[in-house]
Amino acid sequence: MSAMRLVLAVIFGVCSLAALAACDAQAQQQPANWTKPASQLAGQIADILGPGQAQLTIRNLSTIQGGEIPALRKLLEQDLKTRSVLIGGAESANIIRVSLSHNLREQLWVAEIIEGNESHVTMVELDGGEPAAALASNDRVVLRKEPIPRLVHRGGTNPHDDPILAAAEINGHLVVMYADRISVFSSVGATWSESNTFAMSARLSRDPRGMLVPAADGGSFLAFAPGSQCTGSYALPLNGDTHESGWSVRCHASDDPWPVYQSADASSAPALKAFYNTARDFFTGVVTPNVGVDLPPFYSAGMIPRAAGGAALLVAAVDGKVQIIENNTTRIIAGSRDWGSDFAVVRSGCGAGTQVITSGSGEAVSDSLRAFAIPALDAIPESNALAMNGTVTALWTAQDGKSAMAVVRNPVGEYEVDRVTALCN
Amino acid sequence: MLRRFAISCVVALAAISAAARTRPHYGGTIHVEIAGDPWERPSGVARRLVYDGLTEFDSGGALRTALSVAWEQDNNFHRWQFRLRQGVRFHDGTLLSSATVVASLNASCRTDCPWNSVKAVGPLVIFTNDSPMPNLPSLLASDQFLIALTTRADGKTSGAIGTGPFQVTGFNNGILALAANENCWSGRPFADAVEVRVHRAVRDQWLDLSLGHADVVEIPAEQFRQAQQQHLSVHASLPLTLLALQVNDTGALANVKLRAAIASAVDRSALYNVIFQKQGEITAGILPQGMTGYSFLFPPDRDLNRAHELRGGLATGTLTLSADGEGAEQLAAQRIALNLREAGFNVQMAAAGVQHADMVLRMLSIAGDDPAAALERVLWDFGDPAPVTEQTPAALYKREQSILDDRKIVPLLDLPLAFATGPRLRDLHLRADGTPNLPDASLEDTR
Repeated sequence: MSAMRLVLAVIFGVCSLAALAACDAQAQQQPANWTKPASQLAGQIADILGPGQAQLTIRNLSTIQGGEIPALRKLLEQDLKTRSVLIGGAESANIIRVSLSHNLREQLWVAEIIEGNESHVTMVELDGGEPAAALASNDRVVLRKEPIPRLVHRGGTNPHDDPILAAAEINGHLVVMYADRISVFSSVGATWSESNTFAMSARLSRDPRGMLVPAADGGSFLAFAPGSQCTGSYALPLNGDTHESGWSVRCHASDDPWPVYQSADASSAPALKAFYNTARDFFTGVVTPNVGVDLPPFYSAGMIPRAAGGAALLVAAVDGKVQIIENNTTRIIAGSRDWGSDFAVVRSGCGAGTQVITSGSGEAVSDSLRAFAIPALDAIPESNALAMNGTVTALWTAQDGKSAMAVVRNPVGEYEVDRVTALCN
Repeated sequence: MLRRFAISCVVALAAISAAARTRPHYGGTIHVEIAGDPWERPSGVARRLVYDGLTEFDSGGALRTALSVAWEQDNNFHRWQFRLRQGVRFHDGTLLSSATVVASLNASCRTDCPWNSVKAVGPLVIFTNDSPMPNLPSLLASDQFLIALTTRADGKTSGAIGTGPFQVTGFNNGILALAANENCWSGRPFADAVEVRVHRAVRDQWLDLSLGHADVVEIPAEQFRQAQQQHLSVHASLPLTLLALQVNDTGALANVKLRAAIASAVDRSALYNVIFQKQGEITAGILPQGMTGYSFLFPPDRDLNRAHELRGGLATGTLTLSADGEGAEQLAAQRIALNLREAGFNVQMAAAGVQHADMVLRMLSIAGDDPAAALERVLWDFGDPAPVTEQTPAALYKREQSILDDRKIVPLLDLPLAFATGPRLRDLHLRADGTPNLPDASLEDTR
């Protein structure tokens, strides 16, 4: 028992250290990055004040940790000293009042230089920092989140309220589906840089949904959007064109059913296709091939293996109930009250072997994902909740069948894609 | 923190029902109650339900396409062309064209426009001006330039017909009825209808919310604390509405020293602490601190001695002061009048909306993530249009300081807009200007 306590204590300690490290990483600007702006600000102050003595005060209106201010002060004092501005006490006639502020785009350091009745203002701008990724939680099965590297759009900025509907890595490129276009991103260092954009004429919706189905050949894909279907293919460019220019995407109006469930073996044909209601953003319940029972209108569907052999169809119905269809019978899954509308079936090989990953219920600024096993007619939690950096707006099984892809709308309205993997604990 | 500025902060004070989360459902009627007029500028709740602009701000304040899908300038910002979105129709079926857009812009801006001329050329709307218009796309996102149908296809004068997600179906017994625009270019709204009950006292709105008769009600800034105490589910924007005193620089207050005396005499702390119950932020800058990072440089403190000194022996006669809006704005104006009397001014309150008052207390929405464009929009709203080309914070600070030195604008407070919602409404977010984005909200009890 005491050994168990010791192990728990060690785990707690490690987790605490990890959390502290994460907090530290969240500091928006490290002192090492302050050298240049501090030098720049000191230069601007010295240009105004000239050689002499001054009193220096620093006011923090930004998110810089209070404990970092002495280091910054020291840096400024040194830089001022090299420019013959010596920092004195309250007896100094000149006052340098530095305010560490920020605006929408960057951190802003403002210096007010007061010489008698005269006051001058100068300022320098610093780039803002990115928040660190959240820590994963821990249980029987552990969900681990890996954000897809940052998408860099052609304009250079991340648009707000521009939902990502689906994404897939195909032929070394990241293909991302938006409500009105398909964009191809190429890997540039640690980011994905937008290299091609293809317009789609899908019906616009306030709850837009879409689906990307990579082909078995690894060089093409099908994309489904409300009222529209696209085919993308890659061919090696000729005549020295850039690697990225080999993509072509053709779209046409279509009300063909969408492949709501793809076999774990990507080379085989989709197992189930469903008709989509473009005016109401859900699947009508009409599927092909016929599953033997009438399905209710639903948001998402997937196949889960059953202990007795075979597989059962799982659907998240529009009425909020999760239903399982096996042996031509429809039953309600208990314990799914707190499930979101979308789920992804993943073959982790641990725990029950297959898990259903779903987002949490209720309106939430910060969603979470959790893995469940469905051995019979109950959803049994197999992992703790994994906190996501916003609201999960789309969730599907990744191409490898072993992980899920989640689109998250963060609190500032930007969308990011995360790969979530269920690991054995 | 930096990137959180332009979004609305949601303060969920009431436990939301624990129904299983599903994607938003279509259908139902959202019941909204307001104290004012649904069409009033800048934050009338019906305006952005019925009309769209050529451009708009996303929830983060970034400019994005709306009725126009692309724009470009040439001749060093003296000429802009906007390409219209194809296939958009007004609520009566009239096709949106460059001609209808030009007619709407000419109707909404007859004089002192940001442009000399606006013309329709094929699918393009072309603006030209003698001076540069660096922020025209952002200006066109403002409430004043929403596109309305001015003349119907049959030649008759149009009512409130736009291209927005809801269309007007009637106004009876103080209720404005709006129905979903099934073919809205930006997607059909989730709700089938919105009913806006107008001129409803705030206490009655809250009562209706508690009885389930309303889904969205207003929370004036001064009653925010009370709403918290009553455990309402509150959605509040960041402080993006500027309360400012506009001082007429002709007539009795032509002398800048008198205007400076007025600026020094106003007690912002009293407005903040007493009238607005410590909501929002005290400011002496035009643009909010969160947008610029330098607003703190403008001293907001009252200096009555300085006010007396500046006024000296200058006589002004009786000055008139009016306030846009009702309730707290009127109280704030009365408080300012008291402040000015303490500085030796003889001030008389004028009726709301009176023309040619010496001073007008105004509320202005400051949306967007581009401070230069926001400053230009404010200048435009104050009737003093001038291009703002400054881009760096230091240059913008100098420009703002020179504007404030004229003392025609005396910024007082940055206030939030706030709304409370009932339990059946979900996914309500506030737009960049703080108004509720009802087309993207849905009702829980519909299928």
